[in-house]
Amino acid sequence: MLSVKGLKAEVDEKEILKGLDLDVGAGEVHAIMGPNGSGKSTLAHVLSGREGYEVTGGSVSFEGKDLLDLDPEERACLGLFLAFQYPVELPGVNNTYFLKAALNAKRKYHGEEELDAVSFMRLMKERLKVLHLDDSLLKRPVNVGFSGGEKKRNEIFQMALLEPKLAILDETDSGLDIDALRVVANGVNALRGPERSMIVVTHYQRLLDYIEPDYVHVLAKGRIIRSGGKELALELEEKGYGWIVDEAAA
Amino acid sequence: MSAQALKSDTPAAPQTPEPGPFDSWLPSVARADEPQWLALARADATERVHTQGAPTSKSEGWRYTGLRALLEQGFTPVDEPLSALLPEDIDDLLVRGLDSHRVVMVNGRFAPQLSDLADLPSGLTINGLRASLAEAPTALADSINAVAGEGAHVFASLNTAGLDDGMVLHAKRGTLAEKPVELLHLSVGMDEPRVAQPRHLISLDDGAQVTLIERFASLGDALYCNNALLEIRLGRDAALKHRRVQLESPSAFHVSGVYLSQAANSRYDGVNVGIGARWARTDVVTRFSGEYADCNLQGLYLAGDQQLLDYHLDVHHGLPHCASRENFKGVVHGKGKAVFDGLVYVAKDAQHTDAEMSNRNLLLSQSAEVDTKPQLEIYADDVKCSHGTTVGQIEPEKLFYLRSRGIPQALARRMLCIGFAGEIIDALGNDALAEYVADAVGNRLEAAPL
Ligand SMILES: Nc1ncnc2c1ncn2[C@@H]1O[C@H](COP(=O)(O)OP(=O)(O)O)[C@@H](O)[C@H]1O
Ligand SMILES: [Mg+2]
Repeated sequence: MLSVKGLKAEVDEKEILKGLDLDVGAGEVHAIMGPNGSGKSTLAHVLSGREGYEVTGGSVSFEGKDLLDLDPEERACLGLFLAFQYPVELPGVNNTYFLKAALNAKRKYHGEEELDAVSFMRLMKERLKVLHLDDSLLKRPVNVGFSGGEKKRNEIFQMALLEPKLAILDETDSGLDIDALRVVANGVNALRGPERSMIVVTHYQRLLDYIEPDYVHVLAKGRIIRSGGKELALELEEKGYGWIVDEAAA
Repeated sequence: MSAQALKSDTPAAPQTPEPGPFDSWLPSVARADEPQWLALARADATERVHTQGAPTSKSEGWRYTGLRALLEQGFTPVDEPLSALLPEDIDDLLVRGLDSHRVVMVNGRFAPQLSDLADLPSGLTINGLRASLAEAPTALADSINAVAGEGAHVFASLNTAGLDDGMVLHAKRGTLAEKPVELLHLSVGMDEPRVAQPRHLISLDDGAQVTLIERFASLGDALYCNNALLEIRLGRDAALKHRRVQLESPSAFHVSGVYLSQAANSRYDGVNVGIGARWARTDVVTRFSGEYADCNLQGLYLAGDQQLLDYHLDVHHGLPHCASRENFKGVVHGKGKAVFDGLVYVAKDAQHTDAEMSNRNLLLSQSAEVDTKPQLEIYADDVKCSHGTTVGQIEPEKLFYLRSRGIPQALARRMLCIGFAGEIIDALGNDALAEYVADAVGNRLEAAPL
């Protein structure tokens, strides 16, 4: 599904990713954990094609395609989805209009007909329910006046609509209370399947109680310094990041 | 009697005036059937046209608005009404789903066959200006120029000098008009470049409430000029919602002046949308004649390649306790150019004035230009006044958010522009009209290289 090899990336001539390797197979859930500032969001942004990052080395292939060659919208249409750590507010852009534009852009890319209004509404209502989101959200401008929790749920709602092949969730748990966390995790788990892979970026182990990963990686100083099963997350919870970072440096 | 002959009756007039830049605009033959007072007003205005001449880049309020292209056209007045149009010819120009009392002007002349004035509520009368003058030759003697006076500049003088037809709307005390009145200025290209100079007189007596939707549209890409002037008088507690949608042809020149006189506690709520025309100049001039009146001027302009859209707002607070708000937003793309010149003047005696001014702009290209000039002149000491101006670009985070959802870049940019404009489109307060405007904005942006 996704294969990242020796990825190096800079922001403002400062190297953030320093040779990162990651392989994600179909249907797998990978957790990426690491201290603040280690480059987790940078990785998520580079993979989704945000401007302002310069890739200085390595390669990324997604479904056999050179991902780094593609525009963000093309990556999205191919099935990549990023749930933002900080979802962006779009004043004046109606949520329903936005969702419809996104869904239809993807369908158009794959040569499918646009969804008619009735099927679209039905699909939206069904997915809203899973995330315990209110209908009124659809009439509002995207993320404007949403609470922190609503913004995060709105990200997962979009993911549920767009049905990506690979979803990257960037600290989707941060700022959520335990109930909201459960709702989000349920939403995510409902989307797990043999054809859908996920990269769950988180600072805390807490989320992984609800979304069980197949693999856990530790990202520090722009590299994956340790990989393991879900027990690695527990170990990190207990001992913190310090020991691994030190070990890696040694 | 010719205009020339009339002028030589006026003692102050020079015997042989120098050729002026607007000579071709002036009617060559005076109207025999016209009442004396009107002939005099016309002669006076003609005189002013000669003394005022064409504004230059040094004239106050014309710094960014060159007149060369307009003067080069040598516009001549429309001389014949175009009566051949049938209602089905204008079907495509109507706003779908808009239920209104409709007044259609074709090339500046009232076109009863295209208008729909059945079932006007009692207390509301609407008539053509020409017809009104024919029916009661002196009735409007005190109305014409009562609000506009000599006007802000030569185009007001021209409008009086060339005065020909228009709409006369009167709402009696307490009239509540539920359906909006729609005033459609329809322009049809002629074999020569023509100028139409409609004059509209709108008068709401105490407590009357009316919504006026004024639209400018054309059949085809015609070259013409509209120089429209509105005089609006609001009595005590009267309320007018005034929507203006300028969708002239891309070759057209457009001038419009809205002159407002507001009595105590009256409300004027205006939204100006400018999308069409090659060159457009709009003035809104407000004077309060009583306290606690409220004037809300909002606007949206969308200027692209080969377009200049120019707005001048002039609100004069001469009395205490009035409120005014200017809120204009602009999107400028390609080599488009826009001008916003907002003036709020608060005289020494106008204590407790509440005035707010905001002009925000989105520039979509390197070569787009906006000249914004907010001016607050305050001579009273107990007032609440604020102003803010911004000129910015589309924010990259917002664009990336949309693109990361699969939305192509051009559509994403368009969505953000429409989102930016949304506040003003919503302020139109009428779903059918809002949809019409949103579509027009979308179409214009779709055709533009973003
Ligand atoms: N736009 C930027 N400009 C400059 N430095 C940045 C920018 N974005 C991130 N960084 C830096 O890159 C490093 C990694 O940041 P980030 O990827 O956000 O970390 P994480 O998500 O793991 O907390 C940090 O040192 C941060 O300061
Ligand atoms: Mg981060």
